[in-house]
Amino acid sequence: MSEPGVTETTEAVARARAGDADAWGELYRGFAPAIFRFCRRALPTREDAEDATMDIFIKLQKNLSQYDETRSFSAWLYRVAANHCWDILRRRKIRQDKETEDVENVPLEHPDPSQLDKLIEEKTSEEVRQALHKLGARARMALVLRYYSDMSYDEIADELGVRRAFVGVVLLRARHELRQALEGKSALAAGGTS
Amino acid sequence: MSEPANPVSQDGPGGTMDHLDEMTCLLYAERQLDRARAQAVSAHTQDCAACRTLLRALDRESRLLTRAMLEEDEPLPSRLAEFRERARQSFGWIWGVVFGLAATGVYALYTTFVEPAQVRLEAAGFGGTSLLSLLLFQGAFWKGWNSVITLLEVLAMLTVAGFGVAVFRRRLRRGSALAVVLAGLCAALALPAPAAATVFHKGETYELAKDETVKSDIFVTGARARIDGTVDGDLFFFGQSIDISGHIKGDAIIFAQSVRVNGQIDGNIRSFSNNLTITGTVVKNVLTVNEVVNLDSAGKVGGSFTAFAQSIGIDGRLGRDLLTMAGETIISGTIEGEVRAVGRNMSIGSSAQIAGPIHYEGDNPASVASGAKLATPVEYTKRERRSEYRQGHYYVWRVIWTAAFVLFGLVLFLLLPKFAAETVSAGERFGAPVGLGVLVFFGVPIAAVIACVTVVGIPLGVLTLGLWLLALFCAEIVVGTVVGNWILGKPADTWGLIGRMAAGFVIVRIVYTPLANLHVIGALVGLGIWMWGIGSIALALYNRLQPTASQAAMPGPLPPVSLPPHTTVGGIQPA
Repeated sequence: MSEPGVTETTEAVARARAGDADAWGELYRGFAPAIFRFCRRALPTREDAEDATMDIFIKLQKNLSQYDETRSFSAWLYRVAANHCWDILRRRKIRQDKETEDVENVPLEHPDPSQLDKLIEEKTSEEVRQALHKLGARARMALVLRYYSDMSYDEIADELGVRRAFVGVVLLRARHELRQALEGKSALAAGGTS
Repeated sequence: MSEPANPVSQDGPGGTMDHLDEMTCLLYAERQLDRARAQAVSAHTQDCAACRTLLRALDRESRLLTRAMLEEDEPLPSRLAEFRERARQSFGWIWGVVFGLAATGVYALYTTFVEPAQVRLEAAGFGGTSLLSLLLFQGAFWKGWNSVITLLEVLAMLTVAGFGVAVFRRRLRRGSALAVVLAGLCAALALPAPAAATVFHKGETYELAKDETVKSDIFVTGARARIDGTVDGDLFFFGQSIDISGHIKGDAIIFAQSVRVNGQIDGNIRSFSNNLTITGTVVKNVLTVNEVVNLDSAGKVGGSFTAFAQSIGIDGRLGRDLLTMAGETIISGTIEGEVRAVGRNMSIGSSAQIAGPIHYEGDNPASVASGAKLATPVEYTKRERRSEYRQGHYYVWRVIWTAAFVLFGLVLFLLLPKFAAETVSAGERFGAPVGLGVLVFFGVPIAAVIACVTVVGIPLGVLTLGLWLLALFCAEIVVGTVVGNWILGKPADTWGLIGRMAAGFVIVRIVYTPLANLHVIGALVGLGIWMWGIGSIALALYNRLQPTASQAAMPGPLPPVSLPPHTTVGGIQPA
């Protein structure tokens, strides 16, 4: 199911804010699948994603008055979802200490493009999704924010609580982790040179 | 060849040449480089096939990631298909029933148990204007609650500690908050005695000689103690045996194997011991949990005598009522008040004089000697030992209690909606709450008892035990809510959660009621429910102590790395 268009969303939001229950239903039906998918990518289990989706919409219902209508509703909704999921991951004590330490060691070498090409060629979307769940919380969240929610580097920095300058580092490291998960600890995955 | 943005020396087939590093390529592909650097990269890739290929590979990787993420591989689960808001309305009539039953239950509880008990206790010298004041300020275990001051001090300190944790928790790493709280509790236990100069004595034996006077409370631990002198305050004793031949002007609170009172105690005796013998005088009341209790013919108790024991002998004089729950109650002395006894046997000797009514519930009728002077005949009730689940009122009470618990849960959920949701969420994780539940279920009472060993720790220990009991009462409510969530799905709001709590609690009760009467299984299931529930509460509390989601709570900042400034120029060049 695709998200509703901008105009109808704006109208639905306005009506929902005025207390129209049907409008709220429209918003929920329009965005719940996308938010569920977002949570599914970001959180470890399906049950977590289901619970989080419901919680996000409960939060949304309570805080709809805070939405600035001059900005994109879906972007705002994804921010709410991202905050919620990131909060869950941190509350679950999924430690980022190791990830943080490792960020310093981002390789600046030139990986073998042909091996990377081969890897991309061989792997399916399904395999990528499975590999995604093997990543650390920060790496997974960074990739989801960037490639699912299409967030800018500024937004990702804000969301993950890192300086804007390190978003690229976090993303590159996440890609390395993903390659490792897809193919094991090869030289390519570690960012080694040919 | 153009100057790359971040050149990396690399041995190629043609010797050493510079390539772009992967970071630069990624930032270029994502249009995050400034114009100058982007132009440099662009120029470099026109000459360098390897870097051009890498750029394209990174771009393809981005597209693969986007595709993998956006693909609609799973439909929206059916329980999320509609936003659940209807629960609130559908539970309206149920709430009416629940309130009605709960009100009936509360009224029945009050008239059946609380009011008679209050009247009885007042008659027995524990008088008070209300049950609350009775429990709080005329509590059975120590005089006038002088140590309420200590309790207030401890509470104040804990409040300050809690405030400190709340303020600084964002700066504290995981586990540190808990450590701070535990350290605070330890500090509370380790505090020196309050300004009231209590005398402490620890050793094998203690003896207060006849001409000696302690002008304060005295706290004694040891194997044996002998008090021949005067204590101008309360006496606390933890040990093996104590002999009081002197004069205690306050209360005597005693945990010992053997207690003998030959002297005078102006206050009350509160005793947990194996044997208690009173040959002297107790001006106020006696409350005791013993194996054998004996008020000797020379002994006098000015107030009431409340005893839970295997065998009780009253040969002396009692100023007010006798309340007993004992295997054997033998009365040969004088009782100015009434007698209420529950037990196996009761015998009233020929020298007995009892001024008040005598109520006795036991296995066998009371044996009354011919010379006994009784104001009224013994009112005997045979004790029924039928299995309670075979009695109709058992089920009526189960329903009433269920309603009362649901009402209790409702109040709790409305008072603490967020914490309730967190507790239920913690309960849905099985392993952690059950494991923690085992620890809390057994560990907290032990810790509370240990805390009570010190005078300073008594209020803290009692408080801890009270909170533990409260958590125990809440445990079944938590488990009921988790079950309700399983059946009805995730709630939309607090009322939804309350609805699930009510439904789940009723289901747990229905399932548990028949199981409860199967001895071992019933006990195990009951324990399981308690541990699961109490563990969920503990886990939610623990989670509360964790740092909240904020940037300041991130586990250490990322190290500075030199990166290009950020603009949105760059991007993959056409092939």
